[in-house]
Amino acid sequence: MAEPEIVLLGGGISRFARERADGTPVDWMTEATRDALADAAVDHGDIDMSVVGYESEILARQVTMGQVVQDALGLCPRPSVRVEAGGGTAGAALRTAFAYLKGGLARSVLVVGAEAVGKLVSSATVREVYALSGDVEFEMAAGGFFMAYYALMMKEHMRLYGTTEEQMALVSVKNHRNARSNPFAAMPMTLTIQDVLDSPPVTAPYKRLDCSVLADGAAAVILATADWAREHAGAWRNKPRVFMTGSGCGTERVRLGDRPRPYPGFAHMRAKKEAARQAYVMAGIGDPRAELDLAEVTDAYTGAELQSYEALGFCAPGESGPLLQQGLFDLGGELPVNTSGGLIGQGGPPGAIGLAQAIEVLRQLRGECPPERQVSGARRGLTDIHGGTASYCVVSIFERRD
Amino acid sequence: MTDRVKRKLEVRPAGDAGPGDAVDPFAAFRDVEILDMQLAFAFRHSLGKLSRFFLALEQHVLLGTACPVCGAVWLPPRVVCPDDLAVTDWVELGGRGRLAVGSLSAYTLKTAGGERQLMLGYVEVEGATSLLLQQIRNADADALVPGLELKIVWSDRPVDHPMELFWFEPA
Repeated sequence: MAEPEIVLLGGGISRFARERADGTPVDWMTEATRDALADAAVDHGDIDMSVVGYESEILARQVTMGQVVQDALGLCPRPSVRVEAGGGTAGAALRTAFAYLKGGLARSVLVVGAEAVGKLVSSATVREVYALSGDVEFEMAAGGFFMAYYALMMKEHMRLYGTTEEQMALVSVKNHRNARSNPFAAMPMTLTIQDVLDSPPVTAPYKRLDCSVLADGAAAVILATADWAREHAGAWRNKPRVFMTGSGCGTERVRLGDRPRPYPGFAHMRAKKEAARQAYVMAGIGDPRAELDLAEVTDAYTGAELQSYEALGFCAPGESGPLLQQGLFDLGGELPVNTSGGLIGQGGPPGAIGLAQAIEVLRQLRGECPPERQVSGARRGLTDIHGGTASYCVVSIFERRD
Repeated sequence: MTDRVKRKLEVRPAGDAGPGDAVDPFAAFRDVEILDMQLAFAFRHSLGKLSRFFLALEQHVLLGTACPVCGAVWLPPRVVCPDDLAVTDWVELGGRGRLAVGSLSAYTLKTAGGERQLMLGYVEVEGATSLLLQQIRNADADALVPGLELKIVWSDRPVDHPMELFWFEPA
């Protein structure tokens, strides 16, 4: 039997914001799901199963969230699975749904994720919980935490390739600017490079405006086989069809100091390169920079976006900063990146961000974005999300077919 | 607002219609109550098979583990070598090394002191293949350049966690 084709039928976002006192994570996931079902024009009684993504039981103050959400959404007694992969959680949830559909265990899946990491929890507590997702016995005990790990990665990138703080700052300027036309974004801003350079230092070379914001929020998508969609989804009939044509996943040693040197060392993301390789093979992409029309890329910190360009094969190691300065990754450039605003401009709830990326690509490929952020004639897009210090990476490819 | 709920912080309207909603479907659910909630966990945490490393620190001894197959010396130690899954052997390392990469942070984790500044670096300890993350003290942040010669310094004060028993300083 031929492998089923997988279609992304619809998506919904429960707004990302620094504080969402108006609801609990279950409330936000309910909102996102209602919007995803409406966008796909699908009856929730027809959905075969759910995949639920959230990173932290501690921050949510809820263990077995997947079961609670399943109940809240009226999906009992159908199957459900909870997925966790740190910051890559929502990408892993998407890939899990893709695997269920490809393998024939389901024909339609609701993928939904959320995180409660906004201002209702203190930043110090969030940093502490996130540090638990790295090496706990040695590095956290020595005082290590993720912002420092990312800074050390970028210091090495700067040393090897001459990457500058101005180039990193330009990522922040671009992504905050792109977020201005995204009504779901937490941090739309108009900034200059100097604004970023003048913001308070956190861990050298990073300043506050180099960092993504901790945001509350949720996102949901409906993924299905084409055969199921033809029978059950209004979106199949009345909206441009967007297929998920590639998926890849890569992993890396947790401690930066344990990684082989000189490659990947600190400066390169080997797991992401592997995830991209798998996804490109599956989607039949040979030259990603030429064959992709847009990409949503992990920008937990500005330098991470630059490192990701290189790992994803958009350019050679060391070329990311100069190419960004030339406008290659801007709206209107050769390969616009993070048109949604990314984690920096849109916000980054780990359980939701990988799904929000897919929704941005869906809207772009359908031609539904506001004119100021619409990539003209977009046919193929990529999402890239990772957890840890790019120690768990998921890359997905989406393609419009009329 | 009554004071019948001791942990109540505030009651207020929150949220509005989403960007795509002409009418707020949750209009009847917008008054929220916010509580002061605490989670406190306590553990009896075993340091497991690598406990010998932590116990040796109390004797001012730095241990790594060597792979009998490939010869790699892991610091932090690993019970099995990730390259060939062989069970490793304990080896004693000296207290000198070089900085691979280091950085100054404006603050650190609550468990490591909270708001104080902290210098962290990956150290290439002589005799080890992998790099060890540890605090760098009594150094100028501008001097945190790769290749900086470092020496281990042992704490003479009681600490909460064995990893706080040592740090590195410029040699």
